[in-house]
Amino acid sequence: MEAPPVTVMPVTGGTINMMEYLLQGSVLDQALESLLHRLKGLCDNMESESFADHETVYLLKGQQGNPFLLRARHSLAHPAAPWHLRYLGQPEVGDKSRHALVRNCVDVAASHSLPDFLNEMGFRMDHEFVARGQIFRKGALKVVVSKLFRVLVPGNTENTEPLSLSYLVELSVLAPAGQDTMSEDMRSFAEQLKPLVHLEKIDPKRHM
Amino acid sequence: MSGGPAVRVSIESSCEKQVQEVSLDGLETYVPPLSMSQNLAKLAQRIDFGQGSDSEEEGVEGESRDQEWGKPEPEEEEGTVKFQPSLWPWDSVRNNLRSALTEMCVLYDVLSVVKEKKYMTLDPVSQDPTAGKTPQVFQLISKRKSLATAAQLLLKGAEKLSKSVTENQENRRQRDFNSELLRLRSQWKLRKVGDKILGDLSYRSAGSLFPHHGTFEVIKNTDIDLDKKIPEDYCPLNVQIPSDLEGSAYIKVSIQKQSPDIGDLGTVNLFRRQPKAKIGTQAWHVKLEAAQNVLLCKEIFAQLSREAVQIKSQIPHIVVKNQIISQPFPGLQLSVSLCHSTTGDKKNPKSSPEKPKPDDHLYVLEHNLHQLMREFHKQTLSSVVMPHPASAPFGHKRLRLAGPMAYDKAEISTLQQGEGLLEKIIKQAKHIFLRSRTARTIDSLASRIEDPQIQAHWSNINDVYESSVKVLITSQGYEQICKSIQLQLNIGVEQIRVVHRDGRVITLSHQEQELQDFLLSQMSQHQVHAVQQLAKVMGWHVLSFSNHVGLGSVESIGNASAITVASANGEYAISVRNGPESGCKVLVQFPRNLCKELPKSDVIQDNKWNHLRGPYKEVHWNKMEGRNFVYKMELLMAALTPCP
Repeated sequence: MEAPPVTVMPVTGGTINMMEYLLQGSVLDQALESLLHRLKGLCDNMESESFADHETVYLLKGQQGNPFLLRARHSLAHPAAPWHLRYLGQPEVGDKSRHALVRNCVDVAASHSLPDFLNEMGFRMDHEFVARGQIFRKGALKVVVSKLFRVLVPGNTENTEPLSLSYLVELSVLAPAGQDTMSEDMRSFAEQLKPLVHLEKIDPKRHM
Repeated sequence: MSGGPAVRVSIESSCEKQVQEVSLDGLETYVPPLSMSQNLAKLAQRIDFGQGSDSEEEGVEGESRDQEWGKPEPEEEEGTVKFQPSLWPWDSVRNNLRSALTEMCVLYDVLSVVKEKKYMTLDPVSQDPTAGKTPQVFQLISKRKSLATAAQLLLKGAEKLSKSVTENQENRRQRDFNSELLRLRSQWKLRKVGDKILGDLSYRSAGSLFPHHGTFEVIKNTDIDLDKKIPEDYCPLNVQIPSDLEGSAYIKVSIQKQSPDIGDLGTVNLFRRQPKAKIGTQAWHVKLEAAQNVLLCKEIFAQLSREAVQIKSQIPHIVVKNQIISQPFPGLQLSVSLCHSTTGDKKNPKSSPEKPKPDDHLYVLEHNLHQLMREFHKQTLSSVVMPHPASAPFGHKRLRLAGPMAYDKAEISTLQQGEGLLEKIIKQAKHIFLRSRTARTIDSLASRIEDPQIQAHWSNINDVYESSVKVLITSQGYEQICKSIQLQLNIGVEQIRVVHRDGRVITLSHQEQELQDFLLSQMSQHQVHAVQQLAKVMGWHVLSFSNHVGLGSVESIGNASAITVASANGEYAISVRNGPESGCKVLVQFPRNLCKELPKSDVIQDNKWNHLRGPYKEVHWNKMEGRNFVYKMELLMAALTPCP
């Protein structure tokens, strides 16, 4: 029996070419309440949604150069929800005037056998952490306020300790490639949060 | 002197500068001459202030001073000034200073003596009245000057006062603007962009996906004249709404008989009176609410027209200008139109100025459209959309499960949103129409037919797609006896389901005639059932009973029913045949011995056989006395029952 025909062309279009626009900032624990109040006022009128996630970062070391990084995340509050696998590309070095960090982003929902599958594929777990916080949305904008916790014993998400005395604030939008209108909206939204938190684009490479 | 060669005479001034020293190389060093100030100082030192024009002092000190001046003679010194040629330029200075000193000393002495008040006192000198008389011109000038000073002071004060008053008014206007702005902000979303204040009146933050921006601008109302009286409805704040949201709008849903010509369709332009604003609401509030309503109506209509074009249905929907027309039932036309009046004038050039004829303006459906839109908005904001884990993109929770759970196309399509706005509204309209027509049918039957009576009890609690009514067919006066026909009608979207008391379930279509025919057949059955019940009460026996008789002429509506009852002693029998169309036929069977026409026969030996029932005789039913069928039947039965 012949093998079924397989396309060798790379997959383009659809959800493959989504770009993530990102702005990050942080607030100290004492300033969290005022930030949450302001976000509740600015964002869409919904009940505040809190989340608790456990993220594991997998690395595939090739023979050459940079290892390939994948992020697997699942919800601790909703155990039945599917896992989420994410690939984030290099930040685009476009014009400096762009206000947000832009990088290629591939999001895939996966079943609960994801960690085993990645292990079989050859990925090795690099590090893991637990994030707890709240999500807000305003149209297509997503604001995530989270506190990161370090997992002391690998695999045990009950025993965690906070990584710092502050909360990470991320403003992100997923948009198809080529659409550059979102960065203006993000900038104006970040302006409205200005005295409470300063959201800016942080190049991850510079902090490695 | 005499003529001879001129002799040159050189004159050389004597060396003015003194030679201080001569150095070894012949260079002479002169004493530097005195500068002006040094010269002056030297001369001033030589002034003798002790010497002056005063004779006594001069005489005393003169002797002790320079002897080279010679011995002065006392009698010559009284008025003579000592000639001191070297001090001549300073003489006047010295004399003036000496006289000033003298005067000061005298004054000091006088004042010290006066202070003691023992030897000298100060007394005002009596003025000569004529001596101090000032000329009139001088008085005038002085008065004018003092008045001018006073006037200037008053003017300055008045200026300050007026400035403060205008400032106060300005402040009040400012404060009013700010307090109005605060009130505006408590009800609407505002943000500051540059030096403009913009607001958002769209439903975007409530979950709408309509692409209209919905921004309005807040402007200060400065065209107020402070001198004139401020009008009652003056508001320091004014809002400027986008031009396409001006005026007022509403969605009109109506059901009409199908119009014969498609060309009749067009812009529906009915205008409704503006709702009067409550007292106490500001003008900007009314304006903003109206604009928001216009926006919502536009969104509803855009959604409906989009669905009308995209969704395939058996009978295609027509979208014409601001109207959507569809056919829920054949012969019926449902039109949904957006009525937007921009200028707000009451006159309408197209339609006639009198009150427009009512054409089933279904307010309930319009309200439902608004509610459905808001439901849709809430859907986009529900927590079902929020991702868990947080890094996942937004989207419905079930669709995110589709990948890992490997749903196939059929499962995914079941998960998708069921019906759109248009389909829902059409279904609701169908139901409303069916319900109203059912009610009309029942009512028309009830008014037309008196015997038996038809009663309808509508239930209060209905669904948008389903209503129910209980129909009772009774005879007047005999409700307790004859209650066998009770129908429960469940009016759905396209069909009516009838549940009979005896358990039968019948489904009727939307045709009006079906329901009417059914009810008529039930009414005729009721009569026969009533006879059955009556027989039980009267003590008569039911010999036979059939709901659907197979004999006789065929009815066009339903079937005829028949019953035969016999009296208690068996002598008489009544046969009734009732059909919806043929009416009722009542026959009475008499015993043989009461019939004269029967021929005598040899077969019958015994006399007792003459008590059997014999021939039938028809009753002229319409000549019977009695209000209704059952009453007549009761009378008949009573008449045929002999008194004991």
